[in-house]
Amino acid sequence: MIAPALFAVFAAIAVVSALSVILQRNPVTSALFLVVTFCSLAGIYLVLHAEFIGMVQVIVYAGAIMVLFLFVIMYLNLGRDIETGLQIALRRGVGWLMGFALLAAGVALFRHPWAAGPPAPPGPPVGNTQAIGLLLYSRYLFPFEVTSMLLLVAMVGVVVIARGRRAPGPAADLPPGAATGAEPRGDA
Amino acid sequence: MTPVPAPQLIALDWWALGAVIALSAGAMLLLLLEFVPAKPGSSRAAVLSLLTLAISAAAVFVARDARRSIFDGMFVHDGFTVFFTLLFCAIGAVSVLLSWDYVRRTGIHHAEYYVLLLCATLGMIVMAASNDLITIFVGLELMSLGLYVLVGFRRAHLESNEAALKYFLLGAFASGFLLYGIALLYGATGTTSLTRMAAFLSESPLRGNPMFVAGGLLLLTGFAFKVAAVPFHMWTPDAYDGAPTSVTAFMSAGAKAAGFAALLRVGLTALGGMPAEWGPILSAIAILTMTVGNVTALLQTNLKRMLAYSSIAHAGYILVALVAGGRDGASAALFYLAVYSFMNLGAFGIVTMLGRGREERVLVSDLAGLGFRQPLVGLAMTVFMISLGGIPPTAGFMGKVYVFKVALGAGLVPLVIIGVLNSVVSVFYYLRVTVALYMQEPQGEPTEVSWAAPAVVALLVTLALTLWWGIQAHDLLLEAQRSVMGLL
Amino acid sequence: MLWLIPALPLAAVLLNLLVGGRLGRKGVGWLACGAVGLAFLVALRAVLRLAALPEAQRTVTDTVYTWMRVGDFSADVSFLLDPLSAVMALVVTGVGFLIHVYSTGYMAHDASYRRFFLYLNLFMFAMLTLVMADNFLLMFVGWEGVGLCSYLLIGFWYTRPSAAEAGKKAFIVNRIGDVGFILGMLILFAWGGSLNYARLFAVAPHVFAVGSTVITTATLLLFLGATGKSAQLPLYTWLPDAMEGPTPVSALIHAATMVTAGVYMVARTHVLFQLAPVSLQTVAWIGAATAVFAASIGLAQNDIKRVLAYSTVSQLGYMFMACGVGAFTAGIFHLMTHAFFKALLFLGAGSVIHALSDEQDLRRMGGLAPRLPWTHATMLVATLAIAGIPPFAGFFSKDEILSSAFASGNTAVWILGLAGVVMTAFYMFRLYILAFRGQPRLSHEAEHHLHESPPSMIVPLAVLAALSVLGGLVGPPMQEGGHAFARWLAPVFAGGEHAAAAHHAVPMAVEWGLIALSVVVALAGIGLAFRVYLQDPGAATRLRERLSGLHRTLLHKYWVDELYDATAVRFVHGTARSFWRFWDTKVVDGAVNGVGYVFEGFSAVLRLFQTGFVGTYALFFTLGVAALFLHLLRH
Repeated sequence: MIAPALFAVFAAIAVVSALSVILQRNPVTSALFLVVTFCSLAGIYLVLHAEFIGMVQVIVYAGAIMVLFLFVIMYLNLGRDIETGLQIALRRGVGWLMGFALLAAGVALFRHPWAAGPPAPPGPPVGNTQAIGLLLYSRYLFPFEVTSMLLLVAMVGVVVIARGRRAPGPAADLPPGAATGAEPRGDA
Repeated sequence: MTPVPAPQLIALDWWALGAVIALSAGAMLLLLLEFVPAKPGSSRAAVLSLLTLAISAAAVFVARDARRSIFDGMFVHDGFTVFFTLLFCAIGAVSVLLSWDYVRRTGIHHAEYYVLLLCATLGMIVMAASNDLITIFVGLELMSLGLYVLVGFRRAHLESNEAALKYFLLGAFASGFLLYGIALLYGATGTTSLTRMAAFLSESPLRGNPMFVAGGLLLLTGFAFKVAAVPFHMWTPDAYDGAPTSVTAFMSAGAKAAGFAALLRVGLTALGGMPAEWGPILSAIAILTMTVGNVTALLQTNLKRMLAYSSIAHAGYILVALVAGGRDGASAALFYLAVYSFMNLGAFGIVTMLGRGREERVLVSDLAGLGFRQPLVGLAMTVFMISLGGIPPTAGFMGKVYVFKVALGAGLVPLVIIGVLNSVVSVFYYLRVTVALYMQEPQGEPTEVSWAAPAVVALLVTLALTLWWGIQAHDLLLEAQRSVMGLL
Repeated sequence: MLWLIPALPLAAVLLNLLVGGRLGRKGVGWLACGAVGLAFLVALRAVLRLAALPEAQRTVTDTVYTWMRVGDFSADVSFLLDPLSAVMALVVTGVGFLIHVYSTGYMAHDASYRRFFLYLNLFMFAMLTLVMADNFLLMFVGWEGVGLCSYLLIGFWYTRPSAAEAGKKAFIVNRIGDVGFILGMLILFAWGGSLNYARLFAVAPHVFAVGSTVITTATLLLFLGATGKSAQLPLYTWLPDAMEGPTPVSALIHAATMVTAGVYMVARTHVLFQLAPVSLQTVAWIGAATAVFAASIGLAQNDIKRVLAYSTVSQLGYMFMACGVGAFTAGIFHLMTHAFFKALLFLGAGSVIHALSDEQDLRRMGGLAPRLPWTHATMLVATLAIAGIPPFAGFFSKDEILSSAFASGNTAVWILGLAGVVMTAFYMFRLYILAFRGQPRLSHEAEHHLHESPPSMIVPLAVLAALSVLGGLVGPPMQEGGHAFARWLAPVFAGGEHAAAAHHAVPMAVEWGLIALSVVVALAGIGLAFRVYLQDPGAATRLRERLSGLHRTLLHKYWVDELYDATAVRFVHGTARSFWRFWDTKVVDGAVNGVGYVFEGFSAVLRLFQTGFVGTYALFFTLGVAALFLHLLRH
């Protein structure tokens, strides 16, 4: 009974935040909503007992990839929205509040005496992660290897696109009638 | 949970996997070789790519009569796989030959170009050679990702960048639909394996189950995007136009064939022939695709855009074969795909040769009077146009005859009539090219042709095949039928 | 060895492509003529062997290889020689050979000599494939091939915009006809199960009920194809424009051979047409209407080649008329004689044009008879032949058509045919008089260069003239058991010629009466032409010069002429001209262009969707998906 309810909650959050990703005008906000989406997806995975994927979702997507995203957005300085003093004050207030909350939580954690739990029972119940590993290298070996090629292509692609910025003879490369980029090209 | 036993490969499987292994190895070798700088103007990358493609084709050819299901059906080696692997290798090889000189004169001569081309070919083969939706999807992404970058390879060209971005965004959009479809099918049947899905369906028919039907439709949408069927076709003219012409040639033949290969395998293996409720939908898409493609092509003045719309229209003819359904329809589609690939490669190949240096001539009017100044180019282009228009004695005619014959056999008289009318309309714009070649005087500076031996070889090969399959279509037809019969 | 007949011209094409540059003009000419001449000899030998066989076995097939085989469907590259294709092959190679020889003289000074013979040989290959194919698919290959060559040859002088335009028009109009051919072929296959003539015709009577919708539709579609290729109403307009091509091309393709492909096809498929009485009636009516209609237009033309073009359309109408009333033998008979005299007319016209330094306007000719004696003599023979004067070839075939039409009970068709005869005689003699008789009205320059054509052009004229005189003698009327030509074709049309039976039902006296009537009618037309174009203007001028005192009287007479002119001739002229103007340029061209405009309009609208914005594209994508799901929800 609790699982469907949790699923509904996470799904609702995922949909709403995904919509917000495309509706927000500020790229940073969009990116942060994407983090929310990823986290709620991770929640759904947990509800479905796919702990490993849930964790990976948080660590890889919400963690690593989104940090990279945000870094790029800020590096390119895309989020130049004019903000009023009230918004800034509000955000600062929230920031301070969150900081104190984190601090309090940390203090509370460290003051609690942590004892080692009972050792895990040995034997059959193979963990989620292990099962995935076994499957990946047996039944899904082929798609797994093809995916590695996919990643290789992605890397090569990035290199190609990044290098193109300083293509040899940029002036000569542009034909006289090249599109100016003001209008998208189409038939009409 | 019991672990799945590790896959056991027999010697034959290594031959069957030869193409996949060779292409991966070739791509990586090309990248590694970049540590050893080549002499300027060296053709190392192109030669190596050709070699890789030849080895791939040879490996599969050696094991052509075998039927193996490897990695629990993730990779199947059957007649269908052999047919498409050979086709993709041939498409890749012709594209390499066409690119040889073209990339050099347009200033995009990098090893990565060939790496991406090989990887995209690999993706196509994986799409055609898998009995599992997961692998099909990964293969599709591998092909698409390679193509996105290839389309945008001319970084200094805004058009090329724009085309790549559009193709990428819409491709990702379509992939979303495809993946959702796969998820729904998995949800309905509990498996992503096509054979197990078929077994499941034979035990408990899901006809009318909304999740299953919706999943199937979304899957269809995803593939329809790749083959450029209306209304999922709108990226085609922009991407084809902006891409380097050699890439356009490659993707117009390869990506379409791969999309149809995957669609056919899913349809024939998992869904037991095309599902009946797809009939009206596929018919509607086929009619729209033929009509919109042909009619929009009428007013195009840019050769690349015209050929882009023409390629949309040809997807429509192939869809007619799919509507006819069954193995006959599938073999007609295979036959048409092979024929279409070569005539289209040839037509785009000629476009790659127009212009000197960085200059590119892509307007129909640029062809004015070229037929007499360059007889080979004129003759070849005329043959390709006649073939695309479906006029005998060319391969394109045989393709249409076979497709329409199969459709008539399935009682699709209205669809055939619309197809015939469309092919008549199409002649009007194909004819414009011939008229320009032989019956117009060039306005302004006449177009020069960049002659290069590899491109000429590619041209002669495509020309010979287009004529040969028009005069003697029987062998190809038998191959197409046999490869469909041997589906695992 | 049948394959050798079409293969010879093809070999010449390939040789010309490969080494033509090194052969020089003379070599190219020899190569082209030699290949076609050899093809004629091979065909002659094959036909003689065929004739040696017993009548029932006169069908020889030669399968070269299997083109494609899909389950029950198979298409072979296979050639067929039976009495019908024998006639066609001999006419095509024979007349073709003469025209090739003629072209070596006519095109001697053209820069693209080699290209011309390349196309011409390619055409011979396609045409021979068309007439000798033993199945519809191979016939279609030839059918499209001749269309393509015709298009290339009409636009041969592509630097003239009108020539390029005319080539395009021919191709497009023919494609409209081709839709009919393809669809008809597909229907026949879908119901009949085969595209092979022998197999299809064998099963046809069992599969198709007489007058059933399927067979009527199929044959009407096939006939649509025939109207395109053979320039019948309403798809005839491309033929007069096709005169932009070199004259030998007009003679070979647009008079003697290609345009008769439609007639051949209807005759070949007579088994099917006889199962569809409605289609046969349509063929007869379209043929008769075209015969009269084109002839009336021919009355008003001043371009020598255009007169001949409309005359070709009209004569093709007679052939269809014959097929329509079930007299297929008569149709093929006329096809053959027409090939002789119409090729001769065109070649003669070409000789005149050649002699006058490319003058084609009849108003700037006249009095050429003494200057061009050979051309004049042969042209006169051809004109008499087409007018239907005995004992020239055209008389026999045309008479047979008319009496068959009468005998079959289609009196209205017969009357139309008779009206066509008088007009034909009139406009042909108008052409003859304006070109060869009366006072010269040449431009100074043409006068200066005036010369008789070289022997390479005169010899083919003479041979064709001989054929135009003697060609009809294979089919004299009123022979017991049919004349020689009918007996030759009997194995093909056996059992089908219900009209032939009816033909003999007509009493001898009536038959003689019909013959006399058609001759009288033709003579009336000729007399009228002489009176209007030769006698009176000439007499008037003479008298005015000699006796200025009698001017009033002469003027009086002149008034009669004027009156006559104003009432009869001008009326006919006027109607014909306005018909031509209105129908040709407005209705038919309008329809052809209209189809184009409609499509271009659609095209323009569809282009608007292609905005170039990714958002729009994604929107259409989503709409497509939504439409698919809505479709599902409906069920």
